[in-house]
Amino acid sequence: MILNKKYLTIYFSFFLSIYVYSQKTTNRKAKDSVNVEKLDEVIVTGQYNPQSIKKSVFEVSIITRQQIDKQAGNNLADVLNQTLNITVVPSASTGKSSVQLFGLDGQYFKVLVDNIPLINDEGFGNNTDLTQINLDDIEQIEIVEGSMGVQYGSNAVSGVINIITKKGSKYKWETSAYVQEETVGKSYALFNEGRHIQSLRVGHNVSDKLYFNGIYTRNDFKGFLDDRKGQFHELNDGLRGYLWLPKIQNTAKAVLNYSGSKNFRTFYKFEYFNEAINRYSPLVSVNYDASTDTTNPVSNDAIFTSTRVFHHLNFIGKLKEYVNYDLSLSYQRQKRDVETFKYRIKPREKFDDEKFEFESRDVLYSRGNFSNFLKRKHVNFQLGYEINKINGFASQEAGIFDGENIERELSNYDVFASSEITINPNLSIRPGTRLIVSSLFKPQVAVSVISKYTFKNDLEFRLLLGSSPRLPNYTELYTYLVDANHDVRGNENLTPEQGASVFAHLKKTFVFSGSESTTLLKSKLSLNYLNVNDRIELSIVNTVPLQFKYINIDSYKTVGAFFTNTMRHKNLNASFGIGYYGQSKVLDSQTLANDDYLFGFQLNGSLSYTFKKREVIASAFFKHNGQQQQFVQQQNANNETVLARGEQEAYSMLDASLRKNFMNNNIQLTVGARNLFDVTLVNTTAVEGGAHSGPPSSRLLGYGRSYFLKLVYNLKFN
Amino acid sequence: MKTNLFFLNVLLLLFFMSACSNDDDAISQEFAVAFENPSASFSPTDINKEIVIVFAPKATSDGVLTISYTLDNAIYGEAGDFTTLPSGETGKITLPFKAGDNNVTIKVNKLKNPIEGDTKLIRFAIDNVSLTDGTISGNINLELSFAETAALGAVLAPNVGGVNYTNSVFIDLSSQKTTDVRRDAWEIAFHSGTENNVFLNSSLRVTAAELSEFTDLNQVTSATAFSSALELQVYNPFTQQTETKIINTIKDYKEGVKQSYSMYGTYADHLDGSETAISTISTTAEDNKVYLVYMGSEIPTEPGSRSTNHSGDDRGWYKIRVFMDGDNYKLQYAKLEATTFKEATITKDTSLNVVAFSLTNSNAVAVEPAKENWDLNFAGVFGAENGPTYTDYVIHNTLGGTGLYQVTTYKVEDDVTTEFNVPSYEAFKLTDVDETALNYQARNIIGSGWRNPFAGPVAVVNNDRYFVIKDAAGNYYKLRFNAVVNADNERGNPKLEYALLQ
Repeated sequence: MILNKKYLTIYFSFFLSIYVYSQKTTNRKAKDSVNVEKLDEVIVTGQYNPQSIKKSVFEVSIITRQQIDKQAGNNLADVLNQTLNITVVPSASTGKSSVQLFGLDGQYFKVLVDNIPLINDEGFGNNTDLTQINLDDIEQIEIVEGSMGVQYGSNAVSGVINIITKKGSKYKWETSAYVQEETVGKSYALFNEGRHIQSLRVGHNVSDKLYFNGIYTRNDFKGFLDDRKGQFHELNDGLRGYLWLPKIQNTAKAVLNYSGSKNFRTFYKFEYFNEAINRYSPLVSVNYDASTDTTNPVSNDAIFTSTRVFHHLNFIGKLKEYVNYDLSLSYQRQKRDVETFKYRIKPREKFDDEKFEFESRDVLYSRGNFSNFLKRKHVNFQLGYEINKINGFASQEAGIFDGENIERELSNYDVFASSEITINPNLSIRPGTRLIVSSLFKPQVAVSVISKYTFKNDLEFRLLLGSSPRLPNYTELYTYLVDANHDVRGNENLTPEQGASVFAHLKKTFVFSGSESTTLLKSKLSLNYLNVNDRIELSIVNTVPLQFKYINIDSYKTVGAFFTNTMRHKNLNASFGIGYYGQSKVLDSQTLANDDYLFGFQLNGSLSYTFKKREVIASAFFKHNGQQQQFVQQQNANNETVLARGEQEAYSMLDASLRKNFMNNNIQLTVGARNLFDVTLVNTTAVEGGAHSGPPSSRLLGYGRSYFLKLVYNLKFN
Repeated sequence: MKTNLFFLNVLLLLFFMSACSNDDDAISQEFAVAFENPSASFSPTDINKEIVIVFAPKATSDGVLTISYTLDNAIYGEAGDFTTLPSGETGKITLPFKAGDNNVTIKVNKLKNPIEGDTKLIRFAIDNVSLTDGTISGNINLELSFAETAALGAVLAPNVGGVNYTNSVFIDLSSQKTTDVRRDAWEIAFHSGTENNVFLNSSLRVTAAELSEFTDLNQVTSATAFSSALELQVYNPFTQQTETKIINTIKDYKEGVKQSYSMYGTYADHLDGSETAISTISTTAEDNKVYLVYMGSEIPTEPGSRSTNHSGDDRGWYKIRVFMDGDNYKLQYAKLEATTFKEATITKDTSLNVVAFSLTNSNAVAVEPAKENWDLNFAGVFGAENGPTYTDYVIHNTLGGTGLYQVTTYKVEDDVTTEFNVPSYEAFKLTDVDETALNYQARNIIGSGWRNPFAGPVAVVNNDRYFVIKDAAGNYYKLRFNAVVNADNERGNPKLEYALLQ
């Protein structure tokens, strides 16, 4: 698509539809764009300019604000669970939730906010803790699967999530406050059990051009005990503490958006996030005193405090009527401090307090895209750069670094270019490449070729080829454990892992016109192949003396087919999807390995019905995760190590809610239930044991069936 | 708008209510007092004895303890058998204590030795503690005997030396005595019994490999190669199989044997004491070959980054050769690179199991107490034939005639707990002793299994077992471990209790 004058208004109306909605002052065209948006979603991810999903060469899936509201989603972990291919993996021991996409963990996956990567304790964009991402100011969530190195640089191997925030309102004043009360499993009490969320948002159009929005949210998760007995339990029977750690989060966000003349817009976004997680050790030193026949139980506890500060300054505009530019400057810092202490349980006494920085990242970042400088009708060209300087810190407690803190700087200087060539109205092709130059690793190149072909019957075909490297992490680079019993070393000469993917999507919208209403059905068939080479694995590099080292050795492949459908008929919205996928691991790091593909499947579906008169929306979301297999080493009866197919049981997630509007939408009440099938632990034999422990027999996936109530009060006026 | 305001108010109320939380109140803890041990006795040479009353936890405020006593054949006073400090003339002893105190003591001065065969006893009891939360529990009585008798029991905290495991500690149950010796005081020890055996200091992870082609120390340096190969057993944790590596140079051996993922195999003494790395010394001198001795590692002094830190820098490599000179051992030894060697004569001492020798200091050193005066040895660290280095390793005195067996009270398999039909530690009595189960051969019945270093905040005591011991004098004891860490969760601070079976 070329943005000449004719298209320019359309372009701006699209982006206004996202960023400004339809302000009082917006012109008629902008209002039209709202309708366009309703018919066809507008996306940002991977685009030269925001545009409709239908026109996009990219294949992007969307989680809308509506869906987030129906699920009463407060953070990213609350809503991603229902998406095909994505598995949210909560860790009860750290309180974090990470994402698995195509069987690859969070290191291979990038989380962006308004097109730029978001910092976290352990990475920049990757390794994100989903529970730390508040959704209260979110317009929509865009998900792109596949290696996106050209568009988003390293670590975008399995895909990206781009979170698009709201930056405008049609009201002069818009105030919204809500409380959300949830049970955690069966447990709920006003103060000490359950989950309690309070939020306040104020939006204000200061002038025609200037918009301000501020949000404060507090999320108090009181933890999940299950059969555990809390922090005052005195016995070493593994029952002290929580199955799911309690935590408190505070998020404050503000955005200032200035929309100047047609050719200029800027916003500044600020976020402060703070989280405290109490880790109560299940392990108790009972300290039996035989003389007095008394005990003095002591445990080792810790409080982790994460603080994130996020600044993002963005300019979008047009230079001399030729060049469209989109510039972002950002400074972000996230720090995880820990207070470790020993706790005498009987007298409730902390001692041996130590406070130190556990891990942190701070980043200076800039990204710029320039497009449209070729005034050719059928060729558009985009040039861009992405620069970041990441200072990372990992304390000796955060890994095994021979008792030393790791403090490293990593700078990346990327340039990228792509071109969108419209060969004919039905065929466009977009080749691109990125050069990734970094201070620690050899220069990397990412490439992509994306093409779209529209058949005569409106059948859309998209083929996406892409690559992206994954940079080694601190554990892989700097681990050092050498003593009488071990020799395990990181490797500073590791090279980035190489990810590449091919995705093909066939999509068609069917319209069935009836006498009273129209039924809309969108179907999509996707095929994918993803390959990661030079995977880093801890391997034996020497047998006498025995030495382990992280080296680039293994590879990983996944293939899959996915069929998704969304349907709208009168007041009914429905969706259904099924995915079948296989994963293969070539493990050259191990003497015993099997690279057969192991297959599994997932199903998801949703239903939502609007009772217009009563202003009630009823919705349900369902996802079934089929049995998963993995090769694991096990001991057979003769005490020999053999490779066996471990299995994780299938499980299903069902969420449902009812939302009712009162008093002209001024009051919204949502009641619902999450995890109606009451899933907590799923049995598995698909996990290998550690060096000194046996394999776990179950995997924690949820805290059981829980109910929520969300009461929103909106006050809007002009 | 009115309803709006109402809702706003309700919402605000909810907002603040749900944002509140209340803190849990601290509970007050009991203050327990008890005698540290249930009994004590005077040896003929003791002139006084301290009776310790311990507090758990330490006192939170000032107070007074009242102790009373009854006498069996003993008389209080300067003209009698004993006096106490503070004075107990009235039959009661008052012991003031201050906030922060862990214990108080009564000093008992012995004025007369009893006539042999007479029973003379003081029976102490704790009558009262003045604090409101105070309770008297556990050892509420103590029996002090004027003649040397087998202790009724005790609580012992062997001075292993914390996370560095500095000491090897010998324990004599009947006298409640512990003796600690630095682990690096010696490397090899010579058997005083009839068999001419040489032992290695496993608590320092010393190993020895026979170089069967050499009888001359001066021919061996680290550049030496040999055709009769050594074999190292290398454990591959991925396949969980043991692989054999053929070694033909001293250089390769030095690299391989240091690391104990590689199994020491035949180059270390066996855990159970059944085999020694150095063959029984032959009376034919030429049959006794040169041994390459890895000296183990230094004892660190820093806490280190993990819960234990016991193996520091290498102590280097020595070469030794031992042969017999009549009933004495002759030891030739030198550093590996040396071109000359030293010689020492070691005479058997029949009061001891073994005579220990320090290669670095070139002298025999006193390590073990007399062979009938110890039952257990807290070796601390232990490296032996099967590879891994153990901490908290405990062996019993098989050479000196101590017998021991383990009573297992339950097992957990696949999350199912099975209780065995055996008495609990508390209930176990003399008639429960199974004489045939006492093991006088395998020294590592206790070993390292009494604790689990991978559970608990740092490590925990396995409470599924206790031990029955018969000492060389024929006393039966039951014993169990109470701690592997101290109250601050620091490793290398074991505690045990035992009681006489009678």
